[in-house]
Amino acid sequence: MTIAQPTRPLPAKRRFTRKQRRLTLIAMAGAVLSLAAGLVLFAMRDTIVFFYGPTEITEKGVLPGTRMRLGGLVEAGSVQRSDGKRVTFAVTDGKTSIKVGYDGLLPDLFREGQGVVTEGVFEGAGRFKADSVLAKHDETYMPREVADTLKKQGHWQPGAAGAPAAPPAKP
Amino acid sequence: MMIWAIFAAMTGAAIFALLRPLSHGRAEGFGDTADARSLYRSQLKEIDRDLGRKLIGEDDAQAARTEAARRLLRAAGDEAGAAGETEPSLRRRRASSALMLSVVPLLALLIYGLYGSPNLPDQPLAARLEKAGPQQDFAIILARMEAHLAANPGDAKGWSLLAPIYLRQGRYDEAAKAFAAAVRFGKPDADLLAGLGEARIMEAGGVVTAAAREAFAEAVKLDPKSPRARYYLALAKEQDGDGEGAQAALAQLLSEAPADADWAGAVRARLERMQADAGRKAVAALPEAARQQAIKTMVDGLAERLSAGGGNLPEWSRLIRARTVLGDKPAALQALKTARERLADDKDALAAIDALADELALKEAAP
Amino acid sequence: MIVEIGHYALALALGVSVIQAVVPFWGVFRQDRTLASVGSSAALVSFALVALSFAALVTSYVRSDFSVGNVVANSHSAQPLIYKLTSVWGNHEGSMLLWVLILTLFGALVALSRRSLPPRLRAGALAAQGLVAVAFLAFTLLTSNPFQRLSPVPAEGQDLNPILQDLGLAIHPPLLYVGYVGFSITYAFAVAALIDGRIDAMWARAVRPWTLLAWTFLTLGIAMGSYWAYYELGWGGWWFWDPVENASFMPWLAGTALIHSTVVMEKRDALKVWTILLAILTFSLSLLGTFIVRSGVLTSVHSFATDPARGLFILLILIFFVGGSLALFAWRAPLLRQGGLFAPVSRESALVVNNVFLATACATVFVGTLYPLLLEMVTGDKISVGPPFYNATFVPVMVPLLLILPLGQSLAWKRGDLLGAAQRNAMAFGIAVLAALALLFFTRGGPVLAPLGVGLGIFLVLAAGFDLGERIMMRASGWRAMLSRARGLPRSAWGTAFAHAGIGLSIIGIAAQAWSTEAITVLKPGERLTSGRYTIVLEGMSPRSGPNFRAEVARFRVFSGDRELAPVEASKRVYTARSMPTTEAGIRTDGLSQAYVSLGEAQDGGVAVRLYDKPLILLIWIGSLVMALGGGLSLTDRRFRLAAPKRAAPTAAAPQPAE
Repeated sequence: MTIAQPTRPLPAKRRFTRKQRRLTLIAMAGAVLSLAAGLVLFAMRDTIVFFYGPTEITEKGVLPGTRMRLGGLVEAGSVQRSDGKRVTFAVTDGKTSIKVGYDGLLPDLFREGQGVVTEGVFEGAGRFKADSVLAKHDETYMPREVADTLKKQGHWQPGAAGAPAAPPAKP
Repeated sequence: MMIWAIFAAMTGAAIFALLRPLSHGRAEGFGDTADARSLYRSQLKEIDRDLGRKLIGEDDAQAARTEAARRLLRAAGDEAGAAGETEPSLRRRRASSALMLSVVPLLALLIYGLYGSPNLPDQPLAARLEKAGPQQDFAIILARMEAHLAANPGDAKGWSLLAPIYLRQGRYDEAAKAFAAAVRFGKPDADLLAGLGEARIMEAGGVVTAAAREAFAEAVKLDPKSPRARYYLALAKEQDGDGEGAQAALAQLLSEAPADADWAGAVRARLERMQADAGRKAVAALPEAARQQAIKTMVDGLAERLSAGGGNLPEWSRLIRARTVLGDKPAALQALKTARERLADDKDALAAIDALADELALKEAAP
Repeated sequence: MIVEIGHYALALALGVSVIQAVVPFWGVFRQDRTLASVGSSAALVSFALVALSFAALVTSYVRSDFSVGNVVANSHSAQPLIYKLTSVWGNHEGSMLLWVLILTLFGALVALSRRSLPPRLRAGALAAQGLVAVAFLAFTLLTSNPFQRLSPVPAEGQDLNPILQDLGLAIHPPLLYVGYVGFSITYAFAVAALIDGRIDAMWARAVRPWTLLAWTFLTLGIAMGSYWAYYELGWGGWWFWDPVENASFMPWLAGTALIHSTVVMEKRDALKVWTILLAILTFSLSLLGTFIVRSGVLTSVHSFATDPARGLFILLILIFFVGGSLALFAWRAPLLRQGGLFAPVSRESALVVNNVFLATACATVFVGTLYPLLLEMVTGDKISVGPPFYNATFVPVMVPLLLILPLGQSLAWKRGDLLGAAQRNAMAFGIAVLAALALLFFTRGGPVLAPLGVGLGIFLVLAAGFDLGERIMMRASGWRAMLSRARGLPRSAWGTAFAHAGIGLSIIGIAAQAWSTEAITVLKPGERLTSGRYTIVLEGMSPRSGPNFRAEVARFRVFSGDRELAPVEASKRVYTARSMPTTEAGIRTDGLSQAYVSLGEAQDGGVAVRLYDKPLILLIWIGSLVMALGGGLSLTDRRFRLAAPKRAAPTAAAPQPAE
C-alpha cells in the first residue's frame, strides 16, 4: 500500500528519515493486514457452514453433530405441528429425505412442496435439528443451492420453482 | 403517424442541444491554470477575511497564506505545458457534428425499432372502464366491481353481485369469501348463505364440509323452503351414507317444487342418478354371473338409447368405458366411432373422446 | 402514446450518452475546450430524456395502464396511490430505470456546477460518467426494458410483492441508489484525473462534496433498509451479514475511508495515489453490489427472483469498469505528481491509520462475501458464511479503530501532540470506563462484551462532544465570544463531531442487543407472555380487510413491569392478488427500547406469538441518522482551507514545507 512518495531528491539525512517513516507506515499497514488475514483464516475454519442436499449427506458421509445448511423441497404431507412452536417436516430431493425438527415460527412462505433452506445440526440417522428456517421474499424465488440440488437429482423443472432464502429465525 | 412526428421532434431537440456548444464556441484551450490562480487568490482573500473576523489567529493565517501562495506559484508553473493546440479545431467540430447527427438518431431508432410498439395506444384503466359497455370485455366490468369493493369493502350489495360471478368462473375460494362478506355486512339472507355453502363445497372439491353444512343450516333456518340449501343438505346425507334419506329429501323437494322451477330438472337428474347408484349397489350384491348379466343389460340399454340418437359426452364416455371394461372390444370401438360421428361438431368433446381412447388403449384399424 | 414516448426517450438517451462519452474525451485529449463543453449539454439532455422516460413509467403506474407488462407484473388497480408510485421501483426493471435516472441526475448536477469545477476536470468526469450511463442504459433497454407492451391487455395486475408494500420501500432504494450512484461521480473524477495526469488539492476539493453527498445518502439508505427488514420481515433481526447487505456495506466502508483520505489530500496535498485508487474501488464495490443483488449468484435473505442473463450482462459491465479503471490506474498513477510526507504523530497520520483499518475491515467483509462463490467454483462445495465469521474478523478490526478515533480527532494537522490529545480525551475515556464497569457490575452473569461495547459507544459520543466543546471554548471568554466561535467553527468540524458521535450511538444500540430476549408460545385470548421487561396479554383476534389484503389482527395489551404501555396490534395478512401471506409485527416503542410482537400460525383457538424485548434498539438507527446529519453538515461547509490549522497548537504555527 504505497501511500505517498517523495519524488525530488532530498538531502541524504532527511531522505533517510522519510524512508524510515514510510517504512513505519508500510509496516503498520502490513501488520494490520496480516492480523486481519490471520483472523480470516482462523475464522474460516470454525465459522463457515457447508450446504448439503439430503442425498449428499449420505454420499459425502457427513458426520453426526456437524453444523450445516440443508436444502431441498418440503415433502408434501410431512409437516406436523405440536404445542405451538414445535414443528417437524421432511426435506427431500426426490431421492432421499431427512426429518427436520424445529422450534419456532415458520416463515410466511414456508409451504409443502416448495423449496426450503434450514440451518442446524445433523444428528445422524436421517435426522436434522434446525435452529433456523430461512424465509424468502418472493414466491417464485428458489435459492440457487436448492435448485442445484434438485437438478442434480433430476427433479428440477424450471418454472415450477418456488421457495425461500432467509432470515435466521432463531428459535 | 403522430407519434413519429413527436419522436422526430424529440430527436431534433436533443441534437440541437448537443450541437449548440459547437456553434458558438471559439477555438480555445483550457484555462485551468487561470481558474486555479483565481481560486487560490480567492483563498488568500478568504484567509484575510477570517483573520479580520478573528476566526483564526495571525500565526495560522500566515501559515495558510504561505501554503496557498506556494500552490499559486506551482499552478502558474503548469501553465506553460497546458497551452491548447487549436489549429484543426474546425475539422474536429465538423466530425463531432457528424457523429451527433448520425449516432444519436440511428442508435435510438435501432433500439426503439427492436423493442418499441409504436402502434399500441395507452390504455389506462380508468379510460378502459369508462368505455366498458355491456358488449365490452366482461373482465373489465369485473375489474370495475373489484375496484369498487376494494374501496368500499362494506358494500354488501356489491359482494352479493360479485360472489355468483366468481362461483361461475370457478374461483371458489374468492366466491366463498365474497359470499361471506355479503352475509357479514348485509341482512341475513338464505340465498346468500346457500351460495356461501355451495362455494365452500366447490372449494372442497364437492365434499359437503362442516363449514358448508353450517351455512346451509343457517339458510334453512331463515327460509325453510330454500331449494338450494335443501338440495345440498340432501347431498350431505348421501355423503354421510344415508342414501335413502337423501332420496327421500330430494323427492320431497321435487314434490314441493313450483311447476316452472328451473332447478327442478337438475334435482330430478340427481335423484335419478341416486336411484341408479342404488340400483348399481343392488347389482353389486348379485352373484358374479347374474351381476355380469345385469350390467350387460344396463349397458345394452344405454347403447340402444344412444344409437337411437342424441347422447352427450358423459353418456358416450360411460358407454365406451363400460364396453371396454366388459371386455367387448369391437362393441367399444363401434361406440367410439359412433360417438366421434355424433360429436363431430364439438372439438372439446372430440378431444375428450380421443383422450379416453388413449387411456383405454382403444386402437381403431383406420383412424 | 405516453408509454412509447417514454420508451423512445430512453433509447434516445442512450445515443446522447454515447456522445457524452466520446466527444468530451476527445476534447480533453486535443485540448479543445469547445468539444469538451459538449459534455455539459449532453449530460443535461440525457438527464432530461431519462426524466421524461421515468415520468412516463410513473404515469403508467398511476393510471394502472395494464398494457405495460411491467405494470401488470407489479401493480394492482386496488393499491393505494403511494404504493402504485413505489411499485415503479419495487421491481427489477423499474429500479434500473431509477438507477439510470439518478446517474444522469448526478451528471446534470456536475454539468451545472460550472463555477466550482475546473472545465477540464469537468469534461473528463462527464465523459467517464457518460460511459457508465451508456452501459446501464444499454443494460436497461436490452435486458430489463420496463416499457414492454402487452396485447391483449390483461384486466388486472398481479400486485406488488406484498412484502414491499410498505413505506420503508418507498424510501430505501432511492436513498441507497443515490449513495451507490453518487460514488460513480467520484469514480468519474478519478478516471478524469488519471487521464489528465494531474491531481491536486483542487481535485480533492471538487470531489469531496460528491463523496460526502453519496456517503450521507448511502448511510441513510443502509439504515432505512435495516429498519425496514427489522419491522417488515417479522423476525426482529436488523442485520444478518447477508450478501445483499454486505453489498451496500462494502461501498460504505470504502466511502468512509475515501471521505477521510480526501480531507488529507485537500489539506495536505498528500495521499493522492491512494485516494484515486480508493475512489475507483468504492464505485467498483457499488457495481459489485449491484451485480450481487441483481444476479442472484449469492443466496441472500433479501433475494428476489433473478435472471442469470442479466447477471452476466452486469458482470461484463463490472469487468469493464473495474478492470478498465484499474488498468488505467496502473498505467497512469506512477505519472502523478506525488504529494508530501508528514509527521508520524499528526492528524494526517491518524487519518492514514483510519484508512488502513477501514480498508482492512472492508477486505474482511469482501472475503466473507465472495469466498463462498470462489470455493464453489474451485471445489464445488457450497458453504455459507454467517455472523460468527464477521464477529471473529470484522469486529476485531473495527474495535481498535474506534478506540483510537477520538485521539485522531483531537490531533493537530502537521505535527500533533499525542500526549496532549490523550489528555484531552482522558475525561471521556474515564467516564466511559466507569460506565462500562458499572454496567458490568449491574448485569453480572449477563454477556460480558455488551457493557464493554456500550462503554466504547459512550467514549465516542463524549469524546466528540468534548472535542467540539473545547474548540468552542478555546481562547474565548464569555458567552458572546463562545457563541461567535461556535458560529465561526467550520461546518465540517460540526459534521465530524456529529458523525463520530453517531457511530458511538449506533454502537451503544448494537452492543445493547446482547441483552435482548425473546419468548415464544401459543396464546389464547386472556393469556400472557413475558420476555425480558415486557409482558403482553392477548386481548382477542379479529378479521379486517384492507384495500388489497385481508388480515387477521391480534390485539395485545403491553406492560413494562407494572406500567401499562399503549396496546399493540400484530397481524397476519393475506394479499388477495397473489394470495401471499405476510406477517406484520406489532412494535411498541418504550423510550429507546421496543417490545416487538409477531404472530405465527393460528391453532386450537390460540395463536403462536413471539415476543422480543429489544433494549435501546432505536439507538442503532438514531446513531445512523446522526451520522448522516454529520455528513450533511460537512456538505454545507463551503469554506475551503488549503492549509489553515485552525486550532493548531503554537508548535504547528510555523509552516512546514509540504515537500
